Amino acid sequence: MKNKKNKSGANPIWQFFSSVRLAIFLLIILAVTSIIGTIIPQGETLQYYLNNFGPGMFKAIKLLRLDDTYHSWWYLTLLGLFSLNLVICTFNRLPFTLKLFKRDYLDVTPDYLRRVTYRREWNVASGDMASLREVLLSKLREIAGPFREKRLDDGGTVFLAERGKWSYWGLYGLHISILIIFAGAVYGSLTGFKGRIMLLEGETTDHAMAAADPSQKIPLGFAVRCDRFFVDFYDTGAPKEFRSDLTIIDNGREVMKKSILVNDPLTYKGVTFYQSSYQSIPEISVKVSAPSGATRTLVIPAFQRVSWPEAGLTMGLVKFLSNVHGVPAARIWIGDATGRADAMWLFQGATKGFTAGGKPYRVELLTASERYMTGLQVKKDPGVWIVWLGCTGLILGFAIVFWVGHRRIWLYIGPGEKGTVILLGGQTNKNKLQFEKDFNALADAIDKVTGEGR
Amino acid sequence: MTFSSSYLLSITTFIYFGAAALYLIHWVFRVEKVGLVASMVTAAGLICQTVGIGLRWMESYRLGYGHAPLSNLYESLVFFAWVTVLVYLIIEYKTKNRVIGAFATPFATLAMAYASFSPDVQDNIQPLIPALQSNWLIAHVITCFLGYASFAVACGLGIMYLMRGNEKNPAGSGLLAALPSHKVLDELMHQTIVFGFLWLSVGIITGAVWANQAWGTYWSWDPKETWSLITWFVYATALHARFVRGWQGRRIAFLSIIGFISVIFTYFGVNFLLSGLHSYGAS
Repeated sequence: MKNKKNKSGANPIWQFFSSVRLAIFLLIILAVTSIIGTIIPQGETLQYYLNNFGPGMFKAIKLLRLDDTYHSWWYLTLLGLFSLNLVICTFNRLPFTLKLFKRDYLDVTPDYLRRVTYRREWNVASGDMASLREVLLSKLREIAGPFREKRLDDGGTVFLAERGKWSYWGLYGLHISILIIFAGAVYGSLTGFKGRIMLLEGETTDHAMAAADPSQKIPLGFAVRCDRFFVDFYDTGAPKEFRSDLTIIDNGREVMKKSILVNDPLTYKGVTFYQSSYQSIPEISVKVSAPSGATRTLVIPAFQRVSWPEAGLTMGLVKFLSNVHGVPAARIWIGDATGRADAMWLFQGATKGFTAGGKPYRVELLTASERYMTGLQVKKDPGVWIVWLGCTGLILGFAIVFWVGHRRIWLYIGPGEKGTVILLGGQTNKNKLQFEKDFNALADAIDKVTGEGR
Repeated sequence: MTFSSSYLLSITTFIYFGAAALYLIHWVFRVEKVGLVASMVTAAGLICQTVGIGLRWMESYRLGYGHAPLSNLYESLVFFAWVTVLVYLIIEYKTKNRVIGAFATPFATLAMAYASFSPDVQDNIQPLIPALQSNWLIAHVITCFLGYASFAVACGLGIMYLMRGNEKNPAGSGLLAALPSHKVLDELMHQTIVFGFLWLSVGIITGAVWANQAWGTYWSWDPKETWSLITWFVYATALHARFVRGWQGRRIAFLSIIGFISVIFTYFGVNFLLSGLHSYGAS
């Protein structure tokens, strides 16, 4: 960089953090260390690492938190250093850019114009100077754009058509955008949450389970109900659509209804619900006959115990098979008042007997069906807009840095040996090809006007 | 079906193979006319491939699936080859140098051959699973592969740069002297890296926007995401290296090659060796 001889150069720490070399070093270190977390599976239990990597590696994994590499102290330190380097580089460069930006490029001498990168010179005998000047200026405006002018002490006038001076700030926009993205990510993780909800069709909940710690409840501030869940398949067997019909209930009122798909979530009060997974939950109904002649139909969903208190019976569903020789089958668990329990297989259409409390009962599997349970990802991330702002800035800044240049084309008309001297000067820091084209077009036009062209 | 998309795309493979051979002959034997033929063959291949991709798009509608041909490994390889050839032809048009063709077209040929002949790659049109049913699919895949293809060309330029020999003592005669000068190669390499880096950045961002819409997290450190970030770091290094003395030329050529290895790993390695959210890219 050009600002090698910095005034603050006396401070070696400042120098260290302001160097592009450090930036390169950090980029390489980040590239190399980022590989670790793609090779070692992340977020497994400590037991998993001990079993798969042996005691030696296990110690290293535990110490360096390689089970959660990208949130480990050393990786975050690297990202912190990276940000610090970025901030200091930006500050360090600021005076230099400010000088470039504040400089008045109209403040030049004919000698300067004879030294710039692109230059041409014409000497013409004085004729109708006023009309020559008119023609030259109209060409300048046509090819290079609007211009400013200044009279010099030697009696000549310099004209400057300048474009893209602001582009010096693109570099700052680009780099600050990276910091904005980081800031958005940090803000979002501090003020938002990530959770999961499993909802049976018809069920309502007012909280989610934290993604990081499934035992921790996160209150939503309102309730969400899953009215229905659909799953559809292509004839190839691949899934075609997962859909949950959700209803939001706030203060006891249904305020919103929406069918969510995998790429089409629902957002209410900053909380977004995403279709993430599903499970089908079996549910059976059985008819139980007591020795007294009393009968009762019990509906037993999975994961729940259902009881018939009068008979002292409790039942649960242990296992469900939707098709055994053409009929559904279920293994049920039966407990009686004395605390004894038994398990048995039931097939639809066949009645079986069992004893509970020393008395004979009969049980029949009436219906077996599957209910769907939808799996929702729940998220609140107030920082996401800051991240998108940073991303937009990054791309815009990048385009400016690499494609928008500071173009300057000077035209000088003043007294010379043969009468009048015309100087054309040009400078650009980007897109030289297009600039050369414009410059040469202007030079050709001047050739024609002055009679030097063929 | 004689005039199906898969027929046209297989033919494209052979056309690109022929073009690569012609570019090589042009470079080795220095016959200008062969170079012109090579350019024409490449352009014909590009047209054939464009029609093939268009037909495949239409065929997907006929099957009732209706999606842009950018949804699996086969389709992404075909698109990668298409962009590589397009980027190369633009460079050829701008620089009027056909030697670069001998280093760029082989990438397209390899991608097409792998897509067409590898048993790992299924070339039938598959319906879109729910996660892929998004308009972001097109934006994400196109931007990523614009980046990948530019990096392939930059890698070819990096190889040429290193073959050209030492900067102070470049190969003076024979085959290597036909390569463009270090200065030209360095400038082209920089430009293609800049172009690729912009598209890779846009590709990562569109991926983040899409992930946020589908799963609620714009960044989850999934291996594919992480590897695209590693690639981003490598090329960011290459771009900054130009500002540090002693880092021009050879080191950037090396970075350009390392960067493309990282691209390949992001593209294939993650699918085959690691697991994650992008697993549908593997079949």
